[in-house]
Amino acid sequence: MNTGIGSPTIVADNPADTIAKRVHYSPPWADLSIIGIAGSSGSGKSTLSQAIVSKLNLPWVVILSMDSYYKPLNAEASRKAFLNEYDFDSPEAIDFDALVDTLRDLKAGKRAEIPVYSFEKHQRMKETTSIYSPHVLVLEGIFALYDPRVMDLMDMRIYCEADADTCLSRRILRDVKDRGRTVDGCIKQWFGFVKPNYEKYVVPQRNHADIIVPRGIENRVAMTMVTQYIERKLLEKSTHHRAALKSLEVGYETEPLSERAIILKETPQLKSMTTLIQDIDTSSEDFIFYFDRLSCLLIEQALNNVHFKELTVETPAGNKYCGLTPKGEVSAVIILRGGATFEAGLRRVIPDCRTGRLLIQSNIRTGEPELHYLKLPKDINNHDSVLLLDAQMASGGSALMAVQVLVDHGVPQDRIVFATFSAGRVGVHRLTKVFPEITVVIGNMVSDFQDRWVEKRYFRC
Amino acid sequence: MASESEKRPQVGPTQCVGPNYRSESQKPIATVSTEVEHDNVVILPQTPQLIALLTMIRDKNTERADFIFYSNRIIRLLVEEGLNHLPVVEHTVTTPIGSTYAGLMFQGKICGVSIMRAGEAMEQGLRDCCRSVRIGKILIQRDEETAKPKLFYDKLPEDIANRWVLLLDPMFATGGSAIMAVEVLKSRGVPEERILFLNLIASPEGIRNFSSKFPRLRVVTAFVDQGLDEKNYIIPGLGDFGDRFYTM
Repeated sequence: MNTGIGSPTIVADNPADTIAKRVHYSPPWADLSIIGIAGSSGSGKSTLSQAIVSKLNLPWVVILSMDSYYKPLNAEASRKAFLNEYDFDSPEAIDFDALVDTLRDLKAGKRAEIPVYSFEKHQRMKETTSIYSPHVLVLEGIFALYDPRVMDLMDMRIYCEADADTCLSRRILRDVKDRGRTVDGCIKQWFGFVKPNYEKYVVPQRNHADIIVPRGIENRVAMTMVTQYIERKLLEKSTHHRAALKSLEVGYETEPLSERAIILKETPQLKSMTTLIQDIDTSSEDFIFYFDRLSCLLIEQALNNVHFKELTVETPAGNKYCGLTPKGEVSAVIILRGGATFEAGLRRVIPDCRTGRLLIQSNIRTGEPELHYLKLPKDINNHDSVLLLDAQMASGGSALMAVQVLVDHGVPQDRIVFATFSAGRVGVHRLTKVFPEITVVIGNMVSDFQDRWVEKRYFRC
Repeated sequence: MASESEKRPQVGPTQCVGPNYRSESQKPIATVSTEVEHDNVVILPQTPQLIALLTMIRDKNTERADFIFYSNRIIRLLVEEGLNHLPVVEHTVTTPIGSTYAGLMFQGKICGVSIMRAGEAMEQGLRDCCRSVRIGKILIQRDEETAKPKLFYDKLPEDIANRWVLLLDPMFATGGSAIMAVEVLKSRGVPEERILFLNLIASPEGIRNFSSKFPRLRVVTAFVDQGLDEKNYIIPGLGDFGDRFYTM
């Protein structure tokens, strides 16, 4: 038991101190901003949220509707629901615990599975949709500003207000058109539940709001205000992310490269191939041929870092041989577009390799890497090893982000082998500082911060 | 059969195989290539991946399609290593980002020569690295009367005397046919030091025979096995390469 608060020797040996010294990379989605939009049914919450999100038009600004968090109904409640006698407009109908879990996961940068609620069946569907890596999340629902735990996680609270007649007519139109209800049923629900609950639970949320927006999207001033607020938040996050990346450069000039950074042996052939690849006068045909040849060697070298187990086999003549076999499945994740140049080499070595893809692009203005698209094998966390492929690594920004994505999806660091045709010291240093247990396999070391030219030459555009 | 294999305990050198940054206890143990003393023998680095590929092709239960695929992967690595012994000259180029790169350029003409039939299985691997390479063929078979290898057929590039020759035969047992093939090449004017003999599995006996006869010829192999049995088959070996690749 560690009782030595006063004892300097014990404090110095505390492993927590070493962990604290470890360099940390914080992806731009690590500190999610949440904007809550509450208001009566039909007050224009979702229209407003959609208008804001489509105006910004960025993949990392997303809407989460609280409709997904209706509690699944038991047989009795379900029967009532079909008779329009179940109270969907009371806070009781919402699974706030599940919602809080989701928001906390997202806030921690993890992937969250969002339940899909069927209004036709009054049940949660088997499938879920997942949200990962948003920078800003708009949470809309009649009770968005109801649960204090949810409100604590919010950066901005909005309350939408609309005239009751407008709300009712919008609600009838929506429920009949999109949710398979009848006009009679809608009216029955309105006077039975919606209106009384509105007065009892919805209106009091006004007091928790930062902004009250009347007239929904017609209210251009409010729209602009909210959009500008989000834009400012995004800029803050981007600045923070870039500064965090910059701070990871410290020490790269003096410290040696990690022992897990493996540079291909510079044999005469390898150097000759590299020369052909680097030469601007090499024809596209030759460029592609030699790049494929080299990428094959790079993949073979990367595979030396996956895990093997012992296996004794018998030869046709009946002799025994004590050999090795891969411990489990090796899959690959390609960082688009650069990593796609390795696909030919990869298929030559593992023809049926399961391959995830993610698109990370550097912002033209700021140079900040941005995650635009992500598709990974479902059970990637169970694969024995994952090869992460990119043609070049300059600052290491996209590599860091890609490894973070894999770690967020449950792939342990020591199962990740990052392979690249060329890298600069800064990039390798940053990547191995933050993720000391990954292996990095490099074709050749180049000057820092080289532009991405390999993919342009390979794909010829 | 069982008594024969018991007579000869097949213990090759074993060691922990894996990258340097892993501790010994983290690395699995496997039989690795037998060391040989001759300078002109190049054995591929005994990486876990190479051992796993060899395990696959040695296994009698491996299907033909897999046998072909995994041998091709080893052959590619062999060819890549073999090509490293060809001459290069310094060559500086301008890169796409506008800087100069002090690189190297391939020098000298090459050709492949496969010893039929098994050697032909290595041609694809050679072509994968060297497009449109010239490939000659030599057919050598055991003479029924003398039980010695006999040259039946050869077709080689006209200008072979001016080329580096990559001689291809996957299994290097006693080296009887390989010796004859080298003699054919030498008679066509190819100097010993411009011949590289590429094979997957070699025997210490074959290497010994070769290096006393052709001290300047280089052998590139993936693995040197423990030895030969009384029928001169490599132990543990992988069976008949040609049969497993072409007809089984």
